[in-house]
Amino acid sequence: MTRSTAADDDGIVLTDASVTLTGRPVLHNLSLHLHQQRIGIIGRNGSGKSTLMRLMAGLIAPDRGTVRVEGDDPTRARKKMLSHLGILFQNPDHQILFPTVDEELAFGLMQMGAPKSDAQAQVTAHLVRHGRSHWRGVSVATLSQGQRHWLCLQAVLLMQPRTILLDEPLAGLDLPTQTRLARAFAALPQRLITITHDPASLTGCDRVIWLDGGSVAADGPPAQVLPLFQAEMQRLGGLDADADLAG
Amino acid sequence: MLTLTSPVETPLHRLRAGVKLAALALFTFALFWTRSPLWLGVALGLVIAVYLTGGTIFARHGARMLRPLWPFIAVIALWHLWQDDLSGGAVVLLRMVAAVAAANLVTMTTRLSDMITVLERLARPLSPLLPPRRLALAIALVIRFIPVLSERAAQLSLAYRARSGRAPGWRLFAPVALAALDDAECVAQALRARGGAG
Amino acid sequence: MERSLTHIALFAALIAVLGLVPPLYLAGAVPVTAQTLGVMLCGTVLGARRGALAVLLFLLLVALGLPLLSGGRGGLGVFVGPSVGYLVGFPLAAFVAGWIMERTTLPTFWAATAGGVIGGIGVMYLCGITGMAIVLNKTLAEAAFLGLAFLPGDLIKVVLAGLVTQGIARARPGALLARA
Repeated sequence: MTRSTAADDDGIVLTDASVTLTGRPVLHNLSLHLHQQRIGIIGRNGSGKSTLMRLMAGLIAPDRGTVRVEGDDPTRARKKMLSHLGILFQNPDHQILFPTVDEELAFGLMQMGAPKSDAQAQVTAHLVRHGRSHWRGVSVATLSQGQRHWLCLQAVLLMQPRTILLDEPLAGLDLPTQTRLARAFAALPQRLITITHDPASLTGCDRVIWLDGGSVAADGPPAQVLPLFQAEMQRLGGLDADADLAG
Repeated sequence: MLTLTSPVETPLHRLRAGVKLAALALFTFALFWTRSPLWLGVALGLVIAVYLTGGTIFARHGARMLRPLWPFIAVIALWHLWQDDLSGGAVVLLRMVAAVAAANLVTMTTRLSDMITVLERLARPLSPLLPPRRLALAIALVIRFIPVLSERAAQLSLAYRARSGRAPGWRLFAPVALAALDDAECVAQALRARGGAG
Repeated sequence: MERSLTHIALFAALIAVLGLVPPLYLAGAVPVTAQTLGVMLCGTVLGARRGALAVLLFLLLVALGLPLLSGGRGGLGVFVGPSVGYLVGFPLAAFVAGWIMERTTLPTFWAATAGGVIGGIGVMYLCGITGMAIVLNKTLAEAAFLGLAFLPGDLIKVVLAGLVTQGIARARPGALLARA
């Protein structure tokens, strides 16, 4: 990326952001400016990476500090956020809200103010463009896991957000589906922020942030951060730490 | 989602849903207003005739939908035979069967989407209290999550069997209810991420 | 807002899913279905207002023509049949069970069981028996005689509602919105 002078209203800016959930501090004084095109956030379970995603999306508010997405507060400017940022959740069954494919796709467009007939026309055109015109009216319950992931991605893409947050986007999918989805992600013009515990899926990023215990453990190009992360994970894997109960 | 709309196309399928519902309301009102076994008999005959215009398969499907009434019909018939009040028994049974059969007829000949359209129109006066879009969203969410929850229940049941060799029975209820609570939290986030419930 | 809506919708779906559980037969003839257990749980878990709304949403889908009542029943017919009173009683029962859950300081199991007895049996039977009396043109006493066949099954369900509610409270403290 050759964007050397990124303005403050470009991308996502966290300033001393802290989050406490049910009395437990999850994120401590995070200050980040995310403006690269491909960003990976890596960490173990419980490192705070999912909380960071919810924070950036405005689904939770910081207890201290500020979060700005393209200059807007994501918890307040909810309508503006729809064109700033989209999220692909890990489990499609938690994301798909409607019983049929076209209702699901049309919903986001209607949320952005499109009249119902316009939204439906756009959905039809979109399905035709992707060779899936026979998906109109199809029940979501009959789709395979990979097809549901695809549907969730299209529901986000139709809203044309400038940034997309991906939460473990390839977890639990078979290899051909993973390859297909990864190729679809790579071709997207949007800024992608991928949250994962799998270093292999981040090798093509511009920047990788390793989150540990709610703070940044390392931040830089993947060639620099991923080997550190992998070495630490191998070391931890050698210990029998899981016998200790948290809290 | 499976609905009770009959796949057999009848002339009634082409009538507007609002018209059918209004006619049903009038018909039901009339049934509860009259006490004459003769008129009630005519009314039931009329309903049966309309069923038959849909053909025998359609009519047989209609008869199947009346099956839950049998225990009541048996009890009422025995009671009135014992009381020697045949015309009173006839009034109760004819009215009940005609009312239920007529209502089922509207359900069997009206598509879910048409019903929802009528509902949205009927609910319009409530819109300051309940925005029509929110009502439509709520209906869609239920239809979407019935298969998701029942799949979850089946998985939990398998997991229980795998470890105990027995069917879980009532032990399944708490984990399924917890699954519904967890899903509700996740879905609320997904909904907020796409602009909220409006 | 979103949380209320999704909780109401998911519990409406839960009532439907519990309607798919095959009924248990008491004395070989009287079916005991899990569906009314779902109605009670709406009240004891979600509380009075959301619980009643979840049940109303469920009934709305039944009226629209979905076969969600136990035994695959549904459509407009069930609202003019002899069981109509029970259907009217569903949301009231959830409301009362939820109200007792919210307003008493009894331990979870006892509050949910009391809510089940007063809402799920008291209110439900009052409505159900009145409905049967009207549709079948009988006196309340005669209709009550018919309705009482279901009492043993409903007593089992009330205890189950108490146990399940308590189970939820133990597994996920804070998940009981009725007590939040």
